[in-house]
Amino acid sequence: MLEINNLSVSYNSENKPVDALGPISMQIESGDIYAIIGPSGCGKSTLLHVLSGIIKGYSRQVLLDGQELNPKKHDVGFIPQNFGLLPWKKVQENCLLSLKIKGKAIDSAANERIEYILNKLNIHSLIDRYPNKLSGGQKQRVAIARAFIMNPDLLLMDEPFSALDALTREEAQELFIDIWNQYKTTTVFVTHSIEEAIYMGKKIVIMSHCPGTIVEIIHNPLFNTENLRQNEEYLKLSTYIRSIIKKGWKI
Amino acid sequence: MKARKKIKLFIQGFLTFNILWYFFSIIVNMRVLPSPIDIYLNMGSLYGEELYIHVLVSLYRVVSGLGISLVLGISIGLLMAYSKRWSKMLNPLVYFTYPIPKTALLPVVMLLFGLGDGSKIIILVLILVFQILVAVRDAALNIPSETYDSIKSLGASKLQILWNITLPAILPELLTTLRVSIGTALSILFFAEGYGTQYGIGYYILDAWTRIDYIGMYAGILIMSLLGFTMFILIDILEEVICKWKA
Repeated sequence: MLEINNLSVSYNSENKPVDALGPISMQIESGDIYAIIGPSGCGKSTLLHVLSGIIKGYSRQVLLDGQELNPKKHDVGFIPQNFGLLPWKKVQENCLLSLKIKGKAIDSAANERIEYILNKLNIHSLIDRYPNKLSGGQKQRVAIARAFIMNPDLLLMDEPFSALDALTREEAQELFIDIWNQYKTTTVFVTHSIEEAIYMGKKIVIMSHCPGTIVEIIHNPLFNTENLRQNEEYLKLSTYIRSIIKKGWKI
Repeated sequence: MKARKKIKLFIQGFLTFNILWYFFSIIVNMRVLPSPIDIYLNMGSLYGEELYIHVLVSLYRVVSGLGISLVLGISIGLLMAYSKRWSKMLNPLVYFTYPIPKTALLPVVMLLFGLGDGSKIIILVLILVFQILVAVRDAALNIPSETYDSIKSLGASKLQILWNITLPAILPELLTTLRVSIGTALSILFFAEGYGTQYGIGYYILDAWTRIDYIGMYAGILIMSLLGFTMFILIDILEEVICKWKA
């Protein structure tokens, strides 16, 4: 379980403290997938940066399975908006980087997992390429593969599909859910698309304007349904979310 | 493909240069400017004069100077990029000493460190280290902060970040600096080898000059250019191998 207790983040801008986020509290059960949706500048990305240990000094407010969150102890997978692949490493090296950094041996079990994920995401033929020779969708799939290969305790994604065109995005989302269902990794992702939140979030967290606080957490009954957009409920839910957003974001 | 293009470029440049030289020598028609053909025909006989010793001595000086400058320049440059305290301490010194023409310090360096190879390598380092340091510092500061995000979220150590992010990210700019540095190093070398030595290609050229052996002098100049050119090509090859991802 991931517990966030009274987390607020501020930073210094021209020697004045500026509140960027919070205070927010939430509890995410293991195996849950949370979509965080909010206006730009509300601190969504800041929240992910705290959870991933990129912004340091707030670890006490965040507990993962009862322990202070620490990227050195926990395995945290992070997929940033630009996919975060290192341009000087081949796809294969990028995929294995997490294991290498963590000092994990690539034994037969790990190899099996790697094979499975690479095949599932259909990137086996790309392993000897450098990222600048990949399309956006391919980069995205490599980033997903890298995150799942390390078998993370927590997976974080910052608008992971926003850089893709509509068709590639839907395909990538489907692939992601498919592979997520296999491993049920505790996941928090940030999005500005209501559709994406409904398609991929078991729970949907709506945040307010800066400094972002939680307006409402919605249990999403439509998670994991196929042909989502033809579902009547979909329209209702998205209208509902839109109305909250309008209210919440005006405050 | 790329290599073929470079070879073509080399041959074109070589031919153009020599044709210009040839016509110029005919127009000037003085012993001071022999035609390239005379020089190339004489190259073979220079072998007996132990030219290779001069080349090896010069090579030793340049490579040591570059090597030491690289080690110092990269470490101090990275230190300044990543530590505010070190940057505050060293920046004024770098800023102040950068424009000082350090070749003018050759007499001082020779008085302090003697006439031998030591002082020649030190003067090379004094000049090169600043170029490399500033290039490395700026390259490291220009790495976008998002580049570090993924690896930080993995809890990587400072050494792992250095090895997986910083060094590969600055490598292309480091190689460019290295190219500039080689040109600079050879010019300084020529100057430094004019004093307190009987070896080195710089000495060879100056010696031939005083003996009015113009053929030998030009051969020396050609050899020195060849030295620079070989080092350039080596860096090209190095870049193809270690910066493959840029292609």
